[in-house]
Order: sequence, then structure tokens, then C-alpha cells
Amino acid sequence: MHKYSLTYLLTSLLLVTHFSPILHAKDDKAAKKTPKIAVEIVPSPSSSLVRINATLQRYNFIRPWEKGAPTPRRGLGAFITGKRVLTTAELVENSTYIELELTGTGEKTPAKIVGLDYEANLALLEPIDAKSKILDKLVPLKLDDTVVAGDNLEIWQVEDNGNSVTTDVKVLRVAVGNYFIPGSQLLTYQVKGSLQYHANSFTLPVVKDGNLAGLLLSYSSKEQTSNLLPSSIIKHFLDDLKDGDYKGFPNLGLGYAQTLDEQLRKFTQISDKKGGVFVRRVIDDSSAGKGGVKEGDIIMSINGHNIDSRGNYIDEKYGKINFSHLVRGSSNVGDKVKMHIIRDGKAIDLEFALLRKKPSDYLVDPYMFDRGPRFMILGGLIFQELTLPYLKFWGDKWPTRGPLNLVHAQANPEPYEKEGRKKIVFLSQVVKTPATIGYEGFGSIIITQVNGQKINAIGDLAEAFKKPNAQGLHKIEFEDHPKVIYLDARMALAINQQLSKYGISQLQNLK
Amino acid sequence: MTTFARSPFSIITIFACFCAFFLITPLSAQDKKKEINIPPPPSVQADVSKVEFDAIVRIEVEVENRNYRVPWNIGGLGSGVGTGFLIGKNRFLTNAHVVSNRRLIYIKKMDRPEPYKARVLFAAHDCDLALLELEDPTPFENVKPLKFGGTPKLNTTVIAVGYPIGGERISVTRGVVSRIDFRPYTHSGVDFHLTIQVDAAINPGNSGGPVLQDNKVVGVAFQGYSGSTAQNTAYMIPVPVINRFLKDVDDGVYDYYVDMATQTINLLNPAQRLALGLKNDGKGVMVTIADKAGSAGGVLKTGDVLLSIDGYDIASDGFVTIDGERINLNEIVERKFVGDTVTLKILRDHKEQEIKVELQRFIPYLIQANHYDKKPNFVLFAGLQFQPLDRELMSSFGIGNLKARYVYSYFSREELYIERPEPVILTAVLPDSVNTHLQPYTKQIVDEVNGKKIHTLQDVHDALNGDAHEEGQENYHVIRLLGEGRPLVMERAKAQAAHKRIMNKYNVGYDHFIEKPLILESKALAKAREKAEKK
Repeated sequence: MHKYSLTYLLTSLLLVTHFSPILHAKDDKAAKKTPKIAVEIVPSPSSSLVRINATLQRYNFIRPWEKGAPTPRRGLGAFITGKRVLTTAELVENSTYIELELTGTGEKTPAKIVGLDYEANLALLEPIDAKSKILDKLVPLKLDDTVVAGDNLEIWQVEDNGNSVTTDVKVLRVAVGNYFIPGSQLLTYQVKGSLQYHANSFTLPVVKDGNLAGLLLSYSSKEQTSNLLPSSIIKHFLDDLKDGDYKGFPNLGLGYAQTLDEQLRKFTQISDKKGGVFVRRVIDDSSAGKGGVKEGDIIMSINGHNIDSRGNYIDEKYGKINFSHLVRGSSNVGDKVKMHIIRDGKAIDLEFALLRKKPSDYLVDPYMFDRGPRFMILGGLIFQELTLPYLKFWGDKWPTRGPLNLVHAQANPEPYEKEGRKKIVFLSQVVKTPATIGYEGFGSIIITQVNGQKINAIGDLAEAFKKPNAQGLHKIEFEDHPKVIYLDARMALAINQQLSKYGISQLQNLK
Repeated sequence: MTTFARSPFSIITIFACFCAFFLITPLSAQDKKKEINIPPPPSVQADVSKVEFDAIVRIEVEVENRNYRVPWNIGGLGSGVGTGFLIGKNRFLTNAHVVSNRRLIYIKKMDRPEPYKARVLFAAHDCDLALLELEDPTPFENVKPLKFGGTPKLNTTVIAVGYPIGGERISVTRGVVSRIDFRPYTHSGVDFHLTIQVDAAINPGNSGGPVLQDNKVVGVAFQGYSGSTAQNTAYMIPVPVINRFLKDVDDGVYDYYVDMATQTINLLNPAQRLALGLKNDGKGVMVTIADKAGSAGGVLKTGDVLLSIDGYDIASDGFVTIDGERINLNEIVERKFVGDTVTLKILRDHKEQEIKVELQRFIPYLIQANHYDKKPNFVLFAGLQFQPLDRELMSSFGIGNLKARYVYSYFSREELYIERPEPVILTAVLPDSVNTHLQPYTKQIVDEVNGKKIHTLQDVHDALNGDAHEEGQENYHVIRLLGEGRPLVMERAKAQAAHKRIMNKYNVGYDHFIEKPLILESKALAKAREKAEKK
């Protein structure tokens, strides 16, 4: 159950009446001391949280020249040292406008993003106007680094009228769990406690003994449990930002299977040993791939920590958690990792650097924010670069509803990468124009060549279309039916002009 | 886009809106006649007293459905009713779907109570026709067979006669011919042939019954349209399709339809025509894909323009004109038989040539077809259940694995049958201590067993029941799935001991049933595989 801190409410009201607004955050104890020190020492929801109003506008992947309807979003950020506001990346994704609002007075100032990591779901904001003083009145939160399972935490909220609300929750377990980006897993705290939202959206700061312990990631009203983004991940994010060159969290680039199966243990010659996980898949250009890990290897230990047959190790602080925390959440890009493996019954020690594969390094970008899809329209043919967000436009059931050839290419990029492709460029649809007569209904077909040039990314397409053949025709070749079509180059240009007039705001986005 | 072959993709979407069969799914037969500004149809068949009703029989069938999930079981029993008619001495024509998966067939005369035992001579699942005979032909010795007419004209009256739901006795309904078109045949799920659409009320049980005009058979009622988008639409198999079937079985064997297995696109785009060196004369379609295992594999190439077929000019929308009628060019191929040839005039690299294509049946597309009269094939080994991938399997097990879906959908288009003529799926694991950790790996394609590449279900059986083993792994059975790095491993001795135990525990009567897959009989496939192996 959430509860109002009654004493706090009363005193803050009293204080607001009698003192200047700067002091409205103090409680009884603080009130007795000098105001100056009190502000430094005692943060509270109303003194340390900032309301964030963001307007987001998503891109349309079916009509790539369009953006969707602007949608408002509200959340709370934590004011931290350095006069910045920490919140989730989810709150400010694809934002067109962000402002910070004081919970008490309602003063507002436009803000900009100074740090952003969608995989860690974190964003750092500051006022655009460097001279803005509205944040000066707030008490910065320090980062906690003591939370373990069993601890009691407070989820902090502020009501519309500026009143603080705190909700007690208890940490059930610390585990590696899902974040905002599917597939991106990092450390989470799972906490128990009923929660009511007070005029805010999902992003809420969580505090232990007055220090920032994490941010709320999700809440299940049925189970009355929440997942929190812990302070250790926040610290990693903030430290990484310090030198102005943000590197993010490394990824290993392998998939594993448990080795509970005794027959598999015998087969892989580890039955006389304890633990270990079976490497099912290794991504070639990943940390593991470059570091020499191979499919079929058994990972026995990482940096001296034994891995059990389920893939967990004993963390000094958190206890039994998944080994990915070793190579991701608690490591930096460039760190060396030591791996003890068994390959064909022989022990091998590997040491390699941890890298991060950026979303743009993938053949099919796994996520994409703050930019529109790359596309090109010519004469009514609409070409696009394949991204996972494009496939997700088919809805939650995109793996079965989306075009099978594109879904399959996304899941099996290797053959395309071997061909030298950077991205998959495909004909997404055909708008009927005089230049595309007879081509109606073609769509979702992967392009191989245009005018004899291989198309490895959308930029190649724009280049290739500069060189029609002697007859003034473009030749476009596909992986599948209809294999090859031609387009009248001059007519296509003329139609592009008409399409502009017709209201298509943008005929290409190659960046 | 014209598809010369039975394009698997468009078919599946089209079928979604069809009712399965008349026997099973009732049609919505609302009788809302729309006003149209056409004079009332001439009443060709006013007098039904001249119809030889005795020749139109009720067919009662006891069926045995197969159980793909538990393939060693017999499966559920059921029964159905359809219609058939006498077309010659002890020869009854009906739909293949009326007699599919039958255990017993009885034929009843309109005015007699006793059932006469019948058997199937031929069942053509690709055109949904079957020919039956009575074990004892005496009861029909004095009945005159029905005679065939031709193709009825649009907007002329026809009557459908049969034994549809709503009563035991014979029923007559009337309608007009609405459309003559190339359409999917839902019985197989993958075939397209000529159909005639009529607006007569045709209902479950009418299946296999004659549609008559002027006392002559002009079609066999066979499928309808369900759902709210269309009303008063029923389809019959027209005489050209019936004649082809009867001619095909004349020699005692049904050889099935032949197919070019070639996809084409229309040539309506001026730029496309210019590039291919064509005049603006509205002729020709372009070949996009000629399937390697099809009749035209290795003969036609991507970019070839088909100008004429057997001397008939091909229009740029894929139609040819014969006797003043525009028909789909597929129909030229449709009416031919295995071993016949078509003569094509093509334009290749701007030069005209004449080529001949010997026509064959195209088999790879059958992976997506409904199968009938067939026991499910399987291999069970130490609780691991292996079955060949096909349409029934996909739906019975609700297979969602991406690789499996891809192989199923692109089997013919990407010529995946060259590597894997009969893809095998690990469909289930009957839990036992020997395989308890293998449960999460079901519904995937089996790539290798004990070091042997799996081409067919027989390979799985052979690899598990012989000495085959991965190098240095004599003591293990090792199964590798497509796209899965973790091998499925069982100790040989343990698996051996578990096999009998599991069969007893799960009441499995026999541990395998394997038939040689039809696809291995394709000569074109054999050639394509040989070529691939050389590479």
C-alpha cells in the first residue's frame, strides 16, 4: 500500500506558509536546523523530483515520409548532482519537445537530452537555457549503492498539487531482466508492493534512505510487483557520460543452453566437472566471435567466477545472478574478459576485449529512435531499408504476420552479410503511377541490383539510379518474383515532382 | 501477374475465405436476389420430368480421419453424405472429397431402401473428381446413364439435383450461370482449374451431384463460398475438366494434371516492353521463375518473353483467344496429359525462338496440399517423434518455428526440395527419463542424425537403427536441428532400453510407418539434385 507521509505533509504545508518556497522540502528535524544545511541534507519527493513533459512523435514505417500524431507523455525525473535530471529513455523516445516542470510551483523550462541510452533505458536532461535558475531550488539526490534483496525502498511520487507521496516496497530479488528494448537485458530489482499512480506516467524514482536506488521500469497491478532499473546501471551510465564519449554497455554476442542434461554433459566431456553452459550460437563480428568462442564450447567460468549449469554465478553483492551481468552490466566497452572453456574435452583459456555492437552495426537494426526510416521513392516505387521496427509495424504478431521472407532475413542475416550487404534494401510497395503500370501488387521483395550495381545499403540505390541505361531505363533486380522490372528514368523523375506537389513531404531519407 | 504454376502464396490467402467442403461446412444460402438490368433468363430446362432421376444416387460414406498428433492411432470415425450419378455401365461420377478417407461406401437409389456396396476406381484429388463402381451392378442394369452437354452460356438456367441437408429425399434447385472462370479447388488446397459459378442454392450433400441443362450434365456441383462477402455463389466443375479426368483414367491409371511450374508477369509496362525489345502490340508475358523440378526447368529462363503457345498469341495480360473466347493461357496446358508437349514461341535476348516443352506433373507444390487416403508417416525412437513436413503437420501441431515455416512456404519457390526432398520435423517427445531435457526442442527441422544428412523420413529411421554415428561418438545418438546449435544427445544403450518401455507406456502399436515420398519419383528433381551434388 502506498502511504502519505502525514507528518511530512503537515510540516511542509506549515513551512510553505511561513518560510520561503526554497525551504518547503524540510521535515521537522530539518526545520530545527539552519535552512541552508537542511536543503543539502534532506531530499524528498517534492524537493528532488522534477516533472518531465515530453511530446513524442513516432515515424510511420508504411508511409515513411510521414510522422504520426504528436502524443504527450509525462513522468518524473530525479534531480541529481550536476544540475541534471535523470529519467528513462522510454519517456523521451522520439521526442520533439521536452520541458522540465517544478512539481511545487509549476515553473517550466525547455530541456534537451545530454545523455541517452535506449538499451539501458536511461536519459539525462538539462535546461536548454544554461542560465535557467529554476532547478537551483532543488535538492540533488545521491546514488545509493547498498541495495540487496530484502531491503525496503520507497517509490517517490508527487501529486498534481505538489504533495509528496511515498510508497514502501520490498526488494524480493535482484536478477538480470528485460528492459525497454526487447533482447536488451540488464540487472533489475524485483520489488513487491501495491502502487498507485499519481498523475504521472510510469517513470518514477525509487529511493533508499534518501538516496536514489533506481527508477521504476514496470509495474504489474495483478502481481503487485515492480521491476526497477538499479542504481548500479545508472552509475555506469553517468560515469560513461563523463568524458563526453559515451560507449554504452558491451554485449557478448552469444546464445547458450543449460547443461542440466547428464547425457549432454557426458557427450561434451564435462560430466566430471560442475556447472558450465553450452554455446549454441556465436555472432561472427561480436565480442565472443572475435574473441574466439565457438559454437559447442562449454563456458565454465568468466573472470574467475564459476558459471553453474543454468548460467548463473555467485555475485559478491547480489548472490546468484545470470552471468550476463559480468560481461554487460558490470563491464565497460574495452574491458578484457577472461573465459575458461571446455572444447572437445580440452580446457582452453580465452581472453578478449568486450565490444558493443551498435544497432546500426546489424544488418537489420534491432531498434531505431529519433530518426525516420531510410527510404527512397522513385516514380511510385517505394524502397526502404529493413529494420525491426518496420517488421513490428505488423503488430504484436509480426513474426507470423509480417512478410515471411523479410522476417526470415532478419532472423538469419548471415548469408546476406557474407554477400557484403550492410543493410537489406527492399521494395516495400508500389504506388500506381504511369511509370509503374503493371507493377501493382509487388511489395516486400528484397532488391539485389539496380542498373547492374549491387545494392548493399540505401545509399547505393541513390547512386545506382543516377545511371540509367542507353535507352533511358532503370533496371531493378529482385531476389524473388518478379525478378526484374524496368522503370522509365525521365518519367519517374517527372512523377516524383508530381508526388511532391500531391503532398508527399519528402521523397527520400538516406541518412 | 499471371501464374503459370499454382502459385502457393496467392492460393493460401484466397482460400481463407472459402468454405472447406460441402460435406462439412454449410453454405450461407440466403436468397436475396439483386435487381439487374438484364432480361430474365430463357427457361431452358422447364420440364424436370424428363430427368433420369434414377441415375442420380445418394452416396453414404463411412470415413476414417487420420490423427497426425498420434500417428500410430487409427483416428476418429465419421460419416458423410454426398451425391453421384451414373455416367456409363457401372460407373458413377462424384467428387473426390465425397469419398476421401473412406472406410466404406454405399450407394442408394432414389426410390429403394437398400444400400449397395461400392468402391472407388479413381480419386483425382487435384480436380476433385472420383469414379466409383458397385460391387454388384445389377440394381442399375436398367437405369439410363446421364449424358454430358457442353459449357452452358452465361445467364442461362441450370438445375442442381442431389441429396443436400434438410431432408432425406432428392432435391432440385434452380439457378443461372453467373460466371465462368479459373478458380482454386479447395479440396486439394493448391490447384486452380476452370469452374462455373451458379446462383442455385447448392448445399452440403449436393457435392458430386449433377448440374443439368436441357437434360444434360453441364457440371458437377462441388464447392461454395462462405462468409458474408458473397451470396448465392456456388461452383461446379465444368465438362472440360470432367472430360479430361475421364480421358486420363481411360488407360486404367490416373496421371494427374501437368504443369509448366513457371511464373510470369504481365507486360503492360512500356519501360519493361522497351527493355525486352517488344513492340507496343499488347502481346507477350515475361517468365520470372521456371521451377527447376518443373516441366520448363532448364528450358525457360528468367526474362524470356512468351509470345505464343501452340500457335495462339499470348496477350500481355496472359490470356489467349480461342474461337473468339478469351481464356487464361494455363488452360492450354490444363487440357494436356503427361508426356504431351506445348510449343512456345519465345523472345530471348531480343531473338525469337521456338521451343517445345514436355509436360510433367509438378510435385513439390504438394507439400502445401491437403492429403487424403493416406496413413500418416512417422518414426518414433526412444520417445522422439519424427514426421515429414506437410500441410496437415503444420496445422495439427501449430508449427510456428521460423525455419520450419520458411521451408514449408518456400519449398518450391526457393527449390529447397533439392537439398531436402522430404523435410522432417521432430514433432513431439513422449516424456521419459532418457529424453526429458529434449522437450524444448520440438517442432524444428531435423538436419542431421548420427552424422547423416536427413533428406527423407527413411534417412531418420536408417540413421537411428544402424551403426551410423558422429565421428568418435559411437556411444551416442546425436540429432542436429536446423539452426539450433545444441545437439540432442542420447546414450545408445539408454535409448535402446527406453524405446520398448516408452512404446509400452504410451500404448504405441508400431514404431514407424514410412512410404517412399512421391517427390523422389520426379525425374526433373533427380536431375536437379544430381547437378547440385556435382557442385
